[in-house]
Amino acid sequence: MEDDREKIFGAIRKGLREQSRIVAQRNPRSPLLSPMSADFDSKFSRFSSELARVGGETFVSNDLKPLLDSVLNRTHAESNIFVYDEIKEISPTGISSLAESRRVAYSSDLSVGYDKREVAVFDSVIAPCVACIAETGTIVFHTEARLPAALCTRLFVVAPAKSLVATLDEIFQEKFSSFQGSNLFFITGPSRTADIEKELVTGVHGPKEVLVLFYRA
Amino acid sequence: MGLQSRNFKELYKKQIRKPTLRTNLSKATLQAVDSRSQSFESIDFDFLQNQAKAIKEETISSLNEYLSQYQDAAEHNRCKVFFAQSAEKARAYVLDVARSHNVHTIVKSKSMVTEELDLVPFLENYGIEAIETDLGEYIVQLAGEKPSHITTPAIHKSRKEIAELFHDKLGSALNPDPPFLTAEARRVLRNKFLSAEMGISGANFLIAETGDAVIVENEGNARLSTSAVKVHVIVTGIEKIIPKFNDLRIFMRVLGRSSTGQKMTSYVSLIRGPRSAFEKDGPEEVHVVLVDNGRSSLLGTQHQEVLHCIRCGACLNVCPVYRNIGGHAYGSVYPGPIGSLVTPLYFGKDNAPDLPFASSLCGNCTEVCPVGIRIHHHLLSLRRDVVRLKKSRLQDFVFRSYRKAMLRPGRYELIGRLGGVLGRAGLLKAVTKGWTRDRELPDFPVKSFRSIYKTGKKS
Repeated sequence: MEDDREKIFGAIRKGLREQSRIVAQRNPRSPLLSPMSADFDSKFSRFSSELARVGGETFVSNDLKPLLDSVLNRTHAESNIFVYDEIKEISPTGISSLAESRRVAYSSDLSVGYDKREVAVFDSVIAPCVACIAETGTIVFHTEARLPAALCTRLFVVAPAKSLVATLDEIFQEKFSSFQGSNLFFITGPSRTADIEKELVTGVHGPKEVLVLFYRA
Repeated sequence: MGLQSRNFKELYKKQIRKPTLRTNLSKATLQAVDSRSQSFESIDFDFLQNQAKAIKEETISSLNEYLSQYQDAAEHNRCKVFFAQSAEKARAYVLDVARSHNVHTIVKSKSMVTEELDLVPFLENYGIEAIETDLGEYIVQLAGEKPSHITTPAIHKSRKEIAELFHDKLGSALNPDPPFLTAEARRVLRNKFLSAEMGISGANFLIAETGDAVIVENEGNARLSTSAVKVHVIVTGIEKIIPKFNDLRIFMRVLGRSSTGQKMTSYVSLIRGPRSAFEKDGPEEVHVVLVDNGRSSLLGTQHQEVLHCIRCGACLNVCPVYRNIGGHAYGSVYPGPIGSLVTPLYFGKDNAPDLPFASSLCGNCTEVCPVGIRIHHHLLSLRRDVVRLKKSRLQDFVFRSYRKAMLRPGRYELIGRLGGVLGRAGLLKAVTKGWTRDRELPDFPVKSFRSIYKTGKKS
């Protein structure tokens, strides 16, 4: 079907014919009224409080143990757990011991263009992230498979401590603009809605629980 | 359903008589206003508003260049970009895409542009099931209604009404508890996500520099509508372009705060294109439909800055008129103060002559607008245009006479006295019938202020 590109561009040219180009004076300063320290503890404290405000939880540790304990506490023997391969690489023994008491599948088990019903069975997902933003308690994902983390009820995230940045300004810059692949994805707490009489309800279509472990090793 | 804004006077009268509407609206909008204020406490709103306005001014002043840059980048990312001048053309393209992939079920996330195009009923006429997956949109779709708010589509409905709706349409237990109702929607819609072949979404922003579409939401339905499908179609307006990736540092900080009082919405997806070689899921095709449908007609006019709107809905929540009559009264998918501008400007002043008058001109809308649109000034200016279009001899005579009276104190006093005599004799009731239907006409005093003032001065 032929599109209307030239007609629309013609209409725009006609409308703007007597206007000169405006160039915005972009001011790089931060709009935050209280600046944040760059040390990990300050950023972690801010991240934790922001994520807690929207119903998420945060840990910091030198290994995955606190996260794996949480997985065990919140799931049962019948639970299906999806683990991205990057997590298995961080702690092969930890994940192996989890697999002894839970049904665990890995991202490497998925074929390209897999049937989406295959991943709808996973109630819990352990996923890596590329960055976390202290200002808003936001987690940034860039994974080979989008759906497991979008369909599950509980999302456990492993974040390298060095991936924690202070503000959105550090994310929306060239380094992240050149990401490879089809998408970059941000989560700030559980899926939520206030569509019914403005009452907040979590777990609408995505995870109801979001936990982040900052891995300091 | 189409545009109903010509019937604004009938529609608002009908809406204002609904007993629960004003209670629901007041509760929801006041809560939204409060959340918004709190979310801006730790950040410099004026700075963000100035920056957002400047970026939007730059974009619109060079719209051709940025659209062209976006198209090049998106096509480089393997997206298929289609320009549609009219609603008909946009609908036809989406249908064409659906048919070419033998699509039976479409999952759709919230998008004002698709509402503007009446896309869902159109697709359903061709036998394609198109399901709204945002909870509020799903509720209004089940009810056979249109959204009544830009960001909270079912704001007009009480939990009891929604429980009855779910009971009738889904066979759910009659339970008005919001978590129960939400779980019911999740259960039903999960199956739709797993069976749909195609997803339709809008886009909050399109980045010219990188070709990314930015989709902002809270429920995760847009994430699923754009991930759990073979084909993803983005339908959005040509004005949604922003120049740079870095500009998101400004817009991400104002959009969530202005719309729902959140520092950041739960989900933000930056969609760059279809599934790449190292990815295992995601759509195989991504189409972007860029819709004009009246937008370019604002360029070069005094209303050009209306194109800066990022559809946050903040102006609706603070509007005393919206709070009383609700979104359906406007007869347009775009309600509230911004809708009273967009509707006549996009779809013709003749089609919405009363909407610019649906405002107290208090200026609350202008104050909260994150991109600095002077909404109430535009409304006032549109009123002038509409009056010029529908010139009334009687109105013209009254205003000319008023002008003459105001310029001469003697005439003013004479008219005042005459009005007093006629008013006390009850002869003005016929003239003021429309005004006094919902108000009391005050008593006409025997002595005017001027005569009392003169008497006092002498004594």
